[in-house]
Amino acid sequence: MAESPYWNPKTETLPREDLRALQLVKLRYLCEWALARSSFYQRRFAEAGFHPDQLKRWDDLRRIPLLTRADWMASQAAKPPYGELPAVEPRQAIRLHTTSGTSGSEPLRALDTRKDWAWAAEMWSYGIWGCGIRPGDTSYLAFGYGSFIGFWGLHYGMEKVGVLNVPGGAQTTESRAKQIVDFGATAVASTPTYAIRLAQEAQRLGLDLPGAPVSRIILSGEPCPQQTKDLIEGMWGAKVYDTAGMTEISTIFMFECAHQPGGAHLIEDHLIEEVLDPHTSEPVDYGENGERVVTSFGRSAIPLIRYRSSDLVRKLPFSHCPCGRTTDLYDGGVIGRVDDMKLVRGTNVYPRAIEGIVRGFSEIVEFQVRLFTNENLRDEIALRVELPPGYEGWPALRDKLHQELADGHEGLNFLVEQAETGSLPRFELKARRTVDERKRS
Amino acid sequence: MATDLLGNALTPQEQRLLDLYTGLKELAADDLPPTAAANVRHALAQLAQAVNSLALVHEHLTDLDV
Repeated sequence: MAESPYWNPKTETLPREDLRALQLVKLRYLCEWALARSSFYQRRFAEAGFHPDQLKRWDDLRRIPLLTRADWMASQAAKPPYGELPAVEPRQAIRLHTTSGTSGSEPLRALDTRKDWAWAAEMWSYGIWGCGIRPGDTSYLAFGYGSFIGFWGLHYGMEKVGVLNVPGGAQTTESRAKQIVDFGATAVASTPTYAIRLAQEAQRLGLDLPGAPVSRIILSGEPCPQQTKDLIEGMWGAKVYDTAGMTEISTIFMFECAHQPGGAHLIEDHLIEEVLDPHTSEPVDYGENGERVVTSFGRSAIPLIRYRSSDLVRKLPFSHCPCGRTTDLYDGGVIGRVDDMKLVRGTNVYPRAIEGIVRGFSEIVEFQVRLFTNENLRDEIALRVELPPGYEGWPALRDKLHQELADGHEGLNFLVEQAETGSLPRFELKARRTVDERKRS
Repeated sequence: MATDLLGNALTPQEQRLLDLYTGLKELAADDLPPTAAANVRHALAQLAQAVNSLALVHEHLTDLDV
């Protein structure tokens, strides 16, 4: 069994019909739990005329009302500090985490019991094992270990699997780059943005990252287009594995297996992942973009049932991957946010699409997208790029970048500008590279 | 005969895991010295992952402070 490519061979390879049956058993329990213990759900279910007894077939899932972040935040504001979603008293919890606050809104507070917290590590373990990390590996987690949940679950997952784990908190980027090499890390975890920054710092320090033992990089925290993954793999000389999680469930919901078919497997024995049209809330088919809606079975402290994540995803059937898992995939991971699309002079602009183009130019050290209103009250979009000191190919790079951006956006004219070295913001957690300064009429 | 959440008969290994889990739950409900109480709860939280992931049992344990 130690040679198994699966963390959990029994349920990762269940026939789909059995997987659905298992999910339905867990869903009934979850809804009964929420109804018995959470005043929020008691009220919400009553308003919707829903009772867990109605869950007889898979389609009955849609009888359950959807939950939004705004619902959670309103409850938190009305009954601070945790709102009415929790199904336990705060004294029964052993962990408190918050969202990163990068969206500009008030951070969301989440509680975990002992078992919930162990579950967070269990979920990460599916991804750790699935990408090929084993006892004997050495991992380095390059994040700040604060109240933001980040890679906390991965930390305990690595320990559980039996990996020698180096917590890289409270370090400068220079120190982290040196430690990764000095400690002989074979696996590194960070956001995509920070993996690039670490590699740039290693280059500046003269460290040979591609020659170092790092063979796997686990990414999380931001959408990661293929071009970004390619760039990171080139800089590190290591394979990149995408994951995604959220504070609302305390852990990850998807991971890339060793086969890397271009998508990430959903951990469906512990979650239900629906993809809905964000406007109609109707399910969309495989291959169509939609909003991710998650139901989490593992957290007792805060039941999360049909939560609208605002993540934009595209689901693929399990057969897309030859690894033998029967869990479906998200094509390219999380594509972006439902609400991050910008409309510029009638053209839809997505930050991830811009990043995909920019990352094709490995000379670019950092970038920022700025939207503003010009003196003629016309919307403009500018891409500001930072280049290495002494870089001499700017005019040719500018023209090529300008052309590729226009080609990718129905001919939209981007202003492409060079920013001074070191002038653009650097990020360790979730990057915020799009600045919208347009005047609203 | 004991079955998992899908109605399948348990393997001997699964039955042993389940017996351990049940035993830890019983211990966690006892009045134990702090060292035993905390470590039993910690162990129960971990073992609950195995029986849940293997689809043997799915339940929350907050009434045992786990």
